[in-house]
Amino acid sequence: MIRLRVNGEPLALDLDPMTPLVDLLRRDLGLTGAKAVCREGFCGACTVHVDGEPRLACLTPAGLVDGREVVTIEGLGRNAPPSVAPVDDAALPTALQRAMLEEDAVQCGMCFPGMVMALAPVLEAEPSMDREAIRRAMTGNLCRCTGYERILDAAVLALRPQQEAAE
Amino acid sequence: MSAPDPAAHVLDLPRRDARDKLTGATRYTVDRMGAGALHAAILRATGPAGRIVTLDLAPALSMPGVRGVAAAADAPGLHGIGVADHPLFARGHVRQPGEPLAAVAADTLDQARAALKAIVVEIDPDPACLTLDEAVAPGARLVHPDWRDYATLVEGGNRRDNIAWEARVDRGEVDAAFADPTMRIVESAYEVGRQSHVPFEPRAAVARWEDGRVHLECSTQAPWTVRRVTAEVMGIAPSQVRVTVPPVGGGFGLKFDCSIEPIAAILARKTGRAVALELSRAEEAASCLCRENARIRISSAIDPQGHIAARDAEVLMDCGAYGGEQVFLTTMTAHTLGGNYRLGAVRLVTKAVYTNTPPNGAFRACNGVYCTFALERHTDEICAQLGLDPLEFRRANVVGDGDIGATGQVFRGNVLGEMLERMEDASVPVLPALSGTLPDGRLYGRARTVGTWFVFVGPSSATVHLHDDGSATLVTAGVEIGSGSMAQGLPQIVAAQLGIAPDKVVVRQADTDASGLDMGVGGGRTTVSLGAASLEACAAVRAQLLEAAAEMLQTPASGLILRDGRAEIAASPGAGVPIPELVGRIQASLGPVAGHGAFTAPGEPAMPGCTAGHFIEAIDIPVHAVHEAEIALDPDTGHVEVLAYRVVQDVGLALNPRAVRGQIQGGVAQGLGYALHEEITHDAAGAIRQTGFETYRIPGALDVPRVEAILHEGGPSIGPLGIKGAGEVPILNVPAAIACAVANAGGVRVGALPLTPPRVLALLRGRGGRD
Repeated sequence: MIRLRVNGEPLALDLDPMTPLVDLLRRDLGLTGAKAVCREGFCGACTVHVDGEPRLACLTPAGLVDGREVVTIEGLGRNAPPSVAPVDDAALPTALQRAMLEEDAVQCGMCFPGMVMALAPVLEAEPSMDREAIRRAMTGNLCRCTGYERILDAAVLALRPQQEAAE
Repeated sequence: MSAPDPAAHVLDLPRRDARDKLTGATRYTVDRMGAGALHAAILRATGPAGRIVTLDLAPALSMPGVRGVAAAADAPGLHGIGVADHPLFARGHVRQPGEPLAAVAADTLDQARAALKAIVVEIDPDPACLTLDEAVAPGARLVHPDWRDYATLVEGGNRRDNIAWEARVDRGEVDAAFADPTMRIVESAYEVGRQSHVPFEPRAAVARWEDGRVHLECSTQAPWTVRRVTAEVMGIAPSQVRVTVPPVGGGFGLKFDCSIEPIAAILARKTGRAVALELSRAEEAASCLCRENARIRISSAIDPQGHIAARDAEVLMDCGAYGGEQVFLTTMTAHTLGGNYRLGAVRLVTKAVYTNTPPNGAFRACNGVYCTFALERHTDEICAQLGLDPLEFRRANVVGDGDIGATGQVFRGNVLGEMLERMEDASVPVLPALSGTLPDGRLYGRARTVGTWFVFVGPSSATVHLHDDGSATLVTAGVEIGSGSMAQGLPQIVAAQLGIAPDKVVVRQADTDASGLDMGVGGGRTTVSLGAASLEACAAVRAQLLEAAAEMLQTPASGLILRDGRAEIAASPGAGVPIPELVGRIQASLGPVAGHGAFTAPGEPAMPGCTAGHFIEAIDIPVHAVHEAEIALDPDTGHVEVLAYRVVQDVGLALNPRAVRGQIQGGVAQGLGYALHEEITHDAAGAIRQTGFETYRIPGALDVPRVEAILHEGGPSIGPLGIKGAGEVPILNVPAAIACAVANAGGVRVGALPLTPPRVLALLRGRGGRD
C-alpha cells in the first residue's frame, strides 16, 4: 500500500511500487495534466512537484513517493483540492500562467503543464533572474511548437512586478 | 449593405484554449483512454522484406484479458494517394520493418502486449532494397512485384518497377540551351535525410462501434480522410464512419494521413467494446511518416547577361514501402526547384521511389524545405562559379509581375522583389561582408535566401448558426492542432462579419457527422479554405439579418451595418436593433437563422502540355519567404551557432499578427533542427535507429534565437480578405539559409543536411578541395 497526498488529498493505493508516478496520476487518479511524452526524462512534460520540488513523474517510481506530498498542474497554486476549489475562470493560479496567456505563448499545449511546473518554482525562488538565466533554467523542458521565445517573454513578464519593486 | 472591411477582422485575439492548456484541463485524445476501454497493441514485422509463411493468431486469443485480434483478413481494402498500394496489415508479404502484422485488444495494455508475444509468426526473408541507389539500379528487386495490379486513383503518372510515381515538367528547349557554347553550365547535387515530426501527442485513437457504425475519436489533422480511408480498408460505407477530434497535441503533417485509426475501428467492431490505441514513443519514432530522404541533381545554363536560360533537375524521393504523400509531392518540385526564379526553359523529373523502409508522409512544407535548400545552395554555387553577387543575382532573377513559373502559370505582383528590399532595409548584420572571422576566432557566415510555397486549397465547408442570445455557432471539420486557426482566425472572421464579439462565436469541434467535406488541416489551408467557406456562410446570415432589419428600421439594407451586436444605420451609430431581437423576429417568422458556405481550389491556369503526372498544374495561392541567417562556426568543433535570424514572410493580410509571429518563431525552430541536427537513419535491416528523445534530439531553449519577423502584406491572394496561410511556410527557407551561411563561413560546398558538427568538420577538412 502506498500512502501519499496528491494536491492535498490523502490517498492509499494498492499498486506495484515500480509503477511510474505519471501512470499513477494519469491512469489511476485521472489527473491527465502531466503528459507522458517521452518517458525518458528528456522532455519535462510530466513534471510534478514532490514535497515542493519539481520531479519527472515518468522516472519516479510510485514507491518513492510513499509518504510524500505530490502536487500536479491541477493543484498548482490552489490550497484546496481541485474538486472543492472555487471555479474562477478569470484567475489562473500563478503569475507565470497569467503571463503565458497574455503573451500568446501557447500553441498545441502539450508541453505547457510541465513547463509551468518546472519554471514556476524556479521563478519563485530566484525572482531576480534575467532572460538568459531563465533560458538556462528551461533546458529540461522541450517544446516542439513555439521556439521558446514567447515562453521566455512570459517568464520575464511574470517577474517584472517583483523586479520593479526591488529597484 | 457592404461587407466589413478586411481591416475590421484584424485583431491579436488571445487563444480561447490557452487557459485550459495552461492548467492541464485540456483533454487530448491520449487523455481520453480510461473508463472501460480496451487497450490495443500492434504486432509489427522485424525484417524489411519477406513472405509470410505463418501468422497464427489463435494462441493470442487464449491469453489473459484478450478480447479480440485483427489482421489482414479484417481489412480487405488498399489505400493510397494516386495509387492504392497500401494494406492496413501486411498481406502475404512484408515490405518494411515495423509493418503491422496483427493487433490485439485486451483489458489492459500489458495484457495486450503480452498477447502479441503469443502470436506465431514465420516469415521467409527476401532480399531487400533499402536505399534509393538499390531501388533504382537496373534489375533491382521489386518492392511491389504486382505494382501493375494496383488501382490508379489519378491518371498521368509514369509508374514502373520501383518508381511509384514519376512527374515531369518539360517547357522550352532545355537541351538546346545546354548545348549553346555561350552558356555557362553549373551542376550541383544534394542529399538529405529524414526528419521526424515528434508531435508531443503521439498518434492515438479511441474507437466505439455504435448502432452499426464506428465512432473514432482521434488525434488527426484530417477527419474526412480518416473517414474515407477507414471505410476503404474495412470495406464498409464511408457513412458508417464518424470521426470526432478533440484538441490535437501537435501534428506538423504527421496526422494529415490516416494510419492507425482503422486498427482501433476494426477491434471495436470485433469486440463490441471501446478500444483505445496509442502509439508508444518508440513505436511513433519507428513508424513516423517522416519528411523523406531524397537526392537532388540540378543543372543550370546561365546566359551571358546572368539570366537562367535553362534548368534541368532530377529529384529522387524515398517514399518507403508505400507511395503515400510522396506520390502527390512529386508535383511540388515544379514550384520550388522550378519556382522563385525566371527560367527560360525547364525540365524536371521527379520520382517517388519504393524502398523496403518505413513509409514517409507529409511534414510542414514537405519537400519544399529540402528543394529550397538545394535551389538556394545551387543559386549560390552559380554565383560563386560565375563571380556574381548572390544578393544582386537574386534581385535580378526572382519572379516578378507577369513572369511565368515552371508550368507556365503567370505570377502577379513583384512580391519577392519587394520582400528582398524589405530584408535589405531590416538587416543589421554583425559583419558587413557575407563571411569573415569573429573576434573570438569563430568563422562568420551570412546568407539571404528566397523561397516559394503554396496554400493547399481544396474543399471546405462551413455552416454558421446565429442564435437569439446573440451568439453564433461555427460548424466545420476544422481541427485545432496548435496553430491557432480554429482558436483565433476563424472566430475573428465570423465575429467581424456578424458584428458580434469573437467570444460569442462558438467553434464546433470537428465531427464528420455534423460538418461537410473538408480536406483537413494542412498545407497552410485552414484559415484560407475554412475561412472562405465561413465568409460565405456569414454572407448568407448577414443577408437574412439585414433584410429583416431593413424592414424594422425602415432603411434600405444598403444603409445598414452590423456592429457591436446590433444592426445599425451606418450613418447614425447607436441607432438600430440588437441582433438577439432581430434573430428572435426571424425565428418567429421564418425559423432559425443559419447560412452555409463552400469553397474549393479555383484552379489557377497553367500552360497546357508541359506537365505529366501532376496533381495540380499551378499553385492557386503562392506564398513567398525571404530569410536571412547569421551564423558562427567553430572551426575546432564544427559547432554552428545561429547569431541572428530574420524572416520576411508574404502573409497577404495578417489576420492575427501576433499569432502569425508565433508561427514564424516556432517554424524557424523546427527548421533549425532539420538544418543542424535532426536526422532519422535506418540500420542494415532497414529499421529506424532513433527510438525516442534520447536518440533524436529536437531543438531546446538554448538552440533557438529570437527570430525577427516582418509580415509582408498586400501580395495578391484569392484567399478570403486577401489572407494566405501563415503556419506552414516559416520552416521553408531555414535549412537553405543556414546551409548557405555555413558555406559562406567555411568557404565550403555544402551538399547535405543536417549540418552536424562531424559533417561540418569533414567539410572544413576538405576545404580547398572544391569540385
